[in-house]
Amino acid sequence: MVDEKEKIVSEDMGVQVDKKEDIEMRSFGTIKRWATKRSLWMVHYCTGCGGIELAPLMTSRYDMERFGMHPMVTPRQSDLLLITGYVNIKTLKRIIRTYEQMPDPKYVVAFGSCPINGGPYWDSHVTINHLDKYLPVDIYIAGCMPRPQSIVKAFDDLMDMIQEGKADGYLRYKKYYDKYKANQEKIFRKWW
Amino acid sequence: MSEQDFVERMAKFPGSEVKLLRKGQIAMKVPADKGHEAAEYLKKMGFTHLVAIEYVDWIKDNEFELVYNLFSYSSKMRVFLKVRISRDNPEYITFMDLWPVAMTHEREAHEMMGIKFKGNPNLTPFILEDWKEIPPMRKDFDSRKFVKEKYDSIPFVEDEP
Repeated sequence: MVDEKEKIVSEDMGVQVDKKEDIEMRSFGTIKRWATKRSLWMVHYCTGCGGIELAPLMTSRYDMERFGMHPMVTPRQSDLLLITGYVNIKTLKRIIRTYEQMPDPKYVVAFGSCPINGGPYWDSHVTINHLDKYLPVDIYIAGCMPRPQSIVKAFDDLMDMIQEGKADGYLRYKKYYDKYKANQEKIFRKWW
Repeated sequence: MSEQDFVERMAKFPGSEVKLLRKGQIAMKVPADKGHEAAEYLKKMGFTHLVAIEYVDWIKDNEFELVYNLFSYSSKMRVFLKVRISRDNPEYITFMDLWPVAMTHEREAHEMMGIKFKGNPNLTPFILEDWKEIPPMRKDFDSRKFVKEKYDSIPFVEDEP
């Protein structure tokens, strides 16, 4: 049952393209993906120092709204989750709660070296080092911190990935849901 | 009053050891049983602001050091009131009667170092969530080993293409 549902979603988003596919369905998927990539609304979870890089990005210097992106107040209206800095146990709970409220399709962008492998906080007692053990990440931005130019580049790449159907983090989260949940349960003693 | 006057006045406190660290900063060491008295003495001198309570783990001496960071708005001076307590049974008296804000600082010291403060009613978990180990700021807490066991042991969910 889960597989069938997943397949429909996958075809729609162009993850699987087979020869029998209806030409109309295909073009509809293309339009949908095009529309998705040009209207990414984001909820930014400013856990660390990356939040400071978002200010020049939103304002007139780099002007993220020319890509159709702008900050949204609630996760339930957003497509994009920005993890801007290190993640610890306490914030990971909130991030998961935010992520699970977001409607499909949803994408996660991890800023800087901290969500990749811990960065300078790799031996801290509360910083979870690898974010992708607990949440699927679509695109990483290396750097400590990344400058707005590289963030713009990452968004550009993310849009290309969405158009090609490669940004499938939310599908992977559904597919490996049990494993992700098991990993999350391992580090939380209680949820709230 | 100049700094030297302050140093001299502080040196009059019985059992104290006063040192001028640099311009506007004085360190004052007192025995643990006279800490509260010394704080009162300093408060009367004009050090009315408790900035922070710091804590140092002197593991080789088997002692904890509490550093009360006080500030005076009238003379723009800072004084570090230092007391040392035993590491085996870390317990001290609260300064809440002098500065009510000490409650929060003591709560932090209790969580991060495991120091109990007699008279503080609110020594509940503060910043850490789900913490079951020894207090993390102690020198004998091996952070790397903890990270290795807790976070690095968790497997990756999927093999990236």
